[in-house]
Amino acid sequence: MKRSKSKLSWARSRLVVCGFALICAPLVQGQQLEARLRLSGSTTREAFEPLRGILQQCSAVVYDGWKSISFGVVITSDGYLVTKASEIEDAKELNVRVDKTHFKNVRVIATTVEWDVALLKVEARDLVTVEWDTDGEPDHGSWVVANGSTSRTRRRVRVGIISANAREVGGGKAPVVLGITLDTNKKAGTLSISGVEEDSGAADAGLEEGDLILSADEQEIGKIEDLQEILAGKEPGDHVKLRVKRDDEEMEFEVELRTREKIFEEERSRNDAMSGRYSKRRSNFKRILQHDVALSERSAGGPLLNLDGKCVGMNIARVNRCETFAIPAGEMPKIIEDLMPKTNDP
Amino acid sequence: MTQVLPHDCWRRVGASAALALISLSLGSPILAADEKAEARPLYNLQEAPESIRDLLAIQEALQRSLPRTRKATVGIDMGGGSGSGVIVSKEGMVLTAAHVSGGVGKKLTVIMEDGTKHKATSLGLVAETDAAMLKIDEKGSYPYVEIDKEERALMGDWVFALGHSGGFNKERGVGVRIGRIVRWADQTIQTDCNLIGGDSGGPLFDLKGRLIGIHSRVGASLEQNMHVPIRVFLRHWEKMEASEFIGEGPFAEKPVAFLGVGTEDREEGGVEVKVVGKETAAEEAGVKVGDAILEIDGNEVENKEKFSAGIKGLKPGTKVKLKILRDDEEIEIEVELGEK
Repeated sequence: MKRSKSKLSWARSRLVVCGFALICAPLVQGQQLEARLRLSGSTTREAFEPLRGILQQCSAVVYDGWKSISFGVVITSDGYLVTKASEIEDAKELNVRVDKTHFKNVRVIATTVEWDVALLKVEARDLVTVEWDTDGEPDHGSWVVANGSTSRTRRRVRVGIISANAREVGGGKAPVVLGITLDTNKKAGTLSISGVEEDSGAADAGLEEGDLILSADEQEIGKIEDLQEILAGKEPGDHVKLRVKRDDEEMEFEVELRTREKIFEEERSRNDAMSGRYSKRRSNFKRILQHDVALSERSAGGPLLNLDGKCVGMNIARVNRCETFAIPAGEMPKIIEDLMPKTNDP
Repeated sequence: MTQVLPHDCWRRVGASAALALISLSLGSPILAADEKAEARPLYNLQEAPESIRDLLAIQEALQRSLPRTRKATVGIDMGGGSGSGVIVSKEGMVLTAAHVSGGVGKKLTVIMEDGTKHKATSLGLVAETDAAMLKIDEKGSYPYVEIDKEERALMGDWVFALGHSGGFNKERGVGVRIGRIVRWADQTIQTDCNLIGGDSGGPLFDLKGRLIGIHSRVGASLEQNMHVPIRVFLRHWEKMEASEFIGEGPFAEKPVAFLGVGTEDREEGGVEVKVVGKETAAEEAGVKVGDAILEIDGNEVENKEKFSAGIKGLKPGTKVKLKILRDDEEIEIEVELGEK
């Protein structure tokens, strides 16, 4: 279902490409700025060479077999990396390159669905780490540099600027869901299920339309916000104990939580149709920087550098044709701390 | 809410756009480069930036221009759709795209970056090139930008685009994107500043913050972002200010006159009214179901196709006299045509 939809949109974008080819054909050469001189053209990129050098050392390329699926940020010299969790979750043969070194043995240490970040570990000793920028968030119009295309030995840059206010996106919706829609129109204190999504934890557990929700994890539920509070901070695969009333009978269900974007299919908007390949998870972040570096869904996960070579954020989503999101550097220490194995763990 | 940036327009623009692009290669502003060279900043004289220092010069120029230009960039709510625009005079004259304003005399809402809303009315537009003007209704002193009247911008120049991508969003604010002029034509500027639906009508600036174009449309490739050059506005300024609808499509369609009846052919000639639309010109004038329309302005009505084509050929607001046969009696009704 999802597949056929996106194919349709691709076909539509191709139509537009054709229209363009027709229009561009009669143009005289020399009337256009050569590709090498454009924003991310090869000559323009040369000015960013010092930053490319930094990306070469302290960004990682994450592969599934031969295919590069994401970039990563080197955060410790002994081989801890962070990357975009939702892009690597289905990988079967995870392997990583940092600079020219290939690491076949990659462990996924921990992930956080709240930020869509995964902590990886490779066996290394002398990796160069990013230097997080601690001068506050960059202003509108500041140059930023990210990983562009890559070969096995050489990273390239793509460039852009900070585009908009740093902010929360997605209105604080929990990134994990039970897979139900709720009818809130009835009188207070009676929250009933108006729909159960296919392939959701709620469907598998046996919840049905019309069930009246009484409590979740032993806490009384009166309104949607109560439920959202319970879901906040939970990870996919966690369970919630849901008590419901069905035909005057009280029943209890263990519902497995799954990621929002897997259960609730997003409608593809016209803007999406003109946006090429964007990230599956591109909303519901507590705070993001917005920039205009033209990444794809496979080039998120890496560092975002400023002109000083400092890391101002970690690219976390290609949103559409003109927007890319990065987690601000200021949020990263806490995220990393929560993902890192505790030193007093055995 | 849908955002306007007509992807689809490409298919409709087709031939006319191709023609426009050919003709423009003749009048390229590149020829003027030498005489303007002295005033041009280093970043526009260099083929490309060569060092971090060069990049910093671009960043500094851009950041100096941003506060002013952001303040003057507005969201435009057309009711059911949204676009962008830019204020160019203290009195609240706004430039935008014709496919955003959608016509002459339309009521719109202009939204400042801080969320303040102003009522506005669309003035004239140029339908072939996607240029339009509107005016904030309320008298006031509005933040505005300078227009590049000398047309100093050249191919290769560094530029930035502002706009309310995907519709107004107060938390996000105006979005800024950087790029270079990739192609310059008489009626179109192409840049690699990435635009998306909702940006339509928004401003393109040189790094000094002078307005050089208005966002119009995009192609599938990221480098196909098209803007209406400011010269199109300058060329038609007085007529647009006087609320003229200039030229024919594809970015705006002239309003079509509308009577508001459904008819069927009559064997005896003329057409019989089968339906009278609610709140239409026909209802207001007292046309009734069952009426046989025999003549319009003294001309015999042959069949329903010719009758409706005749109405569509008229301007909204035109008064027409209908000769009607009702209950075996011929009467005459005058109708002021509405707008579809």
